[in-house]
Amino acid sequence: MPTADAITTPATDSRPIRGEPIVEARGISKSFGALEVLSDIDFRLSNSEVVCVIGPSGSGKSTLLRCLAFLEPYDHGSVYIDGQLLGYEERGGMRVRARESRVDAVRAPVGMVFQHFHLWPHRTALENVTEALRLVNGLSRHHAEAEGMAMLERVGLAERAGHFPESLSGGQKQRVAIARALAMQPRVMFFDEPTSALDPELVGEVLDVMKRLAQDGMTMAIVTHEMGFAAKVADRVVFMDQGRIVESGAPETLFRHPKSDRLQQFLNTWRERHID
Amino acid sequence: MLDILLTHYPVLTKGLTTTLVVSLSAIALGLVFGVLLAFGLTSRSRWIRWPCGLYRSFWRGTPILLQLLLVFYLLPEVGIEVAPITAAILTLTLNTTAFQSEIFRSGIAHIPAGQIEAARMAGISAWQTRRRIVMPQVLRLTLPPLTNEIITILKNSSLISVIAVTELMRVSEQIASRTFQPLETYLAAAVLYLAVNLVLAQISAHLERRLAGGLATE
Amino acid sequence: MLDLALLWETRELILQGLWNTVWICFLGCLVALSLGLVLAALRLSSPRLFGYPVACYVELCRGTPLLVLLFLLYYGGPSVGLRLDAEIAGVTGIGLYGAGYFAEIYRGGFKSIPKGQLEAARMLGISHWHALSRIQVPQMLRLIVPPGTNQLIILVKESALISIISVDDLTKNATTIVNQTFHVIEPYLAVALLYWMLIELIARGGYALEKHLANREPRPVTRQGESAHAHG
Repeated sequence: MPTADAITTPATDSRPIRGEPIVEARGISKSFGALEVLSDIDFRLSNSEVVCVIGPSGSGKSTLLRCLAFLEPYDHGSVYIDGQLLGYEERGGMRVRARESRVDAVRAPVGMVFQHFHLWPHRTALENVTEALRLVNGLSRHHAEAEGMAMLERVGLAERAGHFPESLSGGQKQRVAIARALAMQPRVMFFDEPTSALDPELVGEVLDVMKRLAQDGMTMAIVTHEMGFAAKVADRVVFMDQGRIVESGAPETLFRHPKSDRLQQFLNTWRERHID
Repeated sequence: MLDILLTHYPVLTKGLTTTLVVSLSAIALGLVFGVLLAFGLTSRSRWIRWPCGLYRSFWRGTPILLQLLLVFYLLPEVGIEVAPITAAILTLTLNTTAFQSEIFRSGIAHIPAGQIEAARMAGISAWQTRRRIVMPQVLRLTLPPLTNEIITILKNSSLISVIAVTELMRVSEQIASRTFQPLETYLAAAVLYLAVNLVLAQISAHLERRLAGGLATE
Repeated sequence: MLDLALLWETRELILQGLWNTVWICFLGCLVALSLGLVLAALRLSSPRLFGYPVACYVELCRGTPLLVLLFLLYYGGPSVGLRLDAEIAGVTGIGLYGAGYFAEIYRGGFKSIPKGQLEAARMLGISHWHALSRIQVPQMLRLIVPPGTNQLIILVKESALISIISVDDLTKNATTIVNQTFHVIEPYLAVALLYWMLIELIARGGYALEKHLANREPRPVTRQGESAHAHG
């Protein structure tokens, strides 16, 4: 974490060892009442890996990501961030919900971008980015703003720093949201359908930012419908259906030679609607 | 408190009945005039809109107690002799008309203009459009704020005791002064008001559920 | 037509009534706003513990007339050893009664803030307390100004009831003038106008507050922020 008197550039200097899993999930199950939305999911995300999770609506892909972030508690299984159990504690052989502060500590290396941006409307773009820097990292306003501007530069929005979210387009809002998450120097970024709420013309600017992040070596887990993006940028694609992981592998393999009927069906439907 | 309720059951019931009669009369009249005033407020003619607006502003912007006193003392001055209960119903009606007009005006505004346009294009007259397209939907929309207004009128009726109408509040005062148990008596009155309002709220919720289908969405 | 000289002669009573109405309303509303906030906060912090009691309190305020509450406090109070001055009973009654309504208003404003904004805050490591104080409360303030202003206006009108428990407020003094001079229209009309003015003031104030909180002009970014990056 940056110290209060150091102005750092986005950290790509200490590239972690490729291959070490940052996020590891084993046997994850979750139900909403009688409805089981996740069944025995194993998921692994290694350093600098970019994984795209695809699947039809209701397949549980967003729920999986939210469980990995412990925004929803998972019922069974374990999620480890950097080797630490997330969301629960083992006490005397029993598993109990961890305190909020413990969850925060384990979750610190994770940054998240949401489908509906969730920018704070009463803060400007720059203030959205600096809020956590000041509250969590204790940076002074001067240093927080310097770092914040650097982040906004990185996503190409420096000149809109003083604007409120309501005067920004959807694509701009999402890029501010990405800058906001990046400011906390995460080691892994989760994206929950980042472009699904955007008008088609605005999708590209967000995907470009995400592409550059991937090229810079960021570890990313992305739930998306953008197959083209997944094909070009992902190291691995995971296909989910009805709460289970059906297939997982390199994009070329998955898209050109799908093993399961379900995936074949899904791809056919997608191709019919997107004359590429 | 319980023995007060049991001992003075007959007078309390009579008082409560008066409360209900006055309130419901005012509400019913207020509904009719409130809708009319709402149309007046949204009229295209300035000469109709302004007086309506002034009326609404006065009757919403001054204390109801003052309105009661004003009407009660004013009527004899201009030579109109009415029973206190009539003056009470009159004032409450004048008051609630103003509030209900605002509720209906807002409800009418919520109906997408496109629906009215479609009706007019299909040849349905302005009056018919209002009656068969707009008002049914408005009635559904306005049920919650209307319920609140009805509860308010019921509570306001307690004030007419001031102009010598023997409703629930007045009866309570009489009992309290006779038994020297003001605490128990007024608690009993509170319980009765609460009971009536809870029943009202339940009826309204039930009605809301039944009318829930078929609302205009933006 | 209207005997305006009458109003001038009785101005002492009118002004005295105005003063009493104003200070009792002011204190009463202050109590209502604060107590309502406490109730809303209690309900929010421990829904299991305070959810039901606060909901009951709100229903009580909604279901009973203020007059009954005033009578209970002023006439019923002595039975339990509570001897309040009429004015204090007025402030207390308005305060307790209004608190129920304000608790609901605060709750409504709170609930209408999208949950996602808090999730974003949590993901960034912002503590619950900070998320509450810096994200939710500022936005909530803006949302509750319209219903809050409306409720304040209602309380001012309801304050006329304190005349019934013999407080010398605007309404009581107007009635006194009526009884003394046998003129009905002038005193009541004058007093009605004064209430109207008070209410207009509150309404305008609320509107101005709304506009102030909704200020969405872009804020200039400091030079330092930009130049520090330049050689970054």
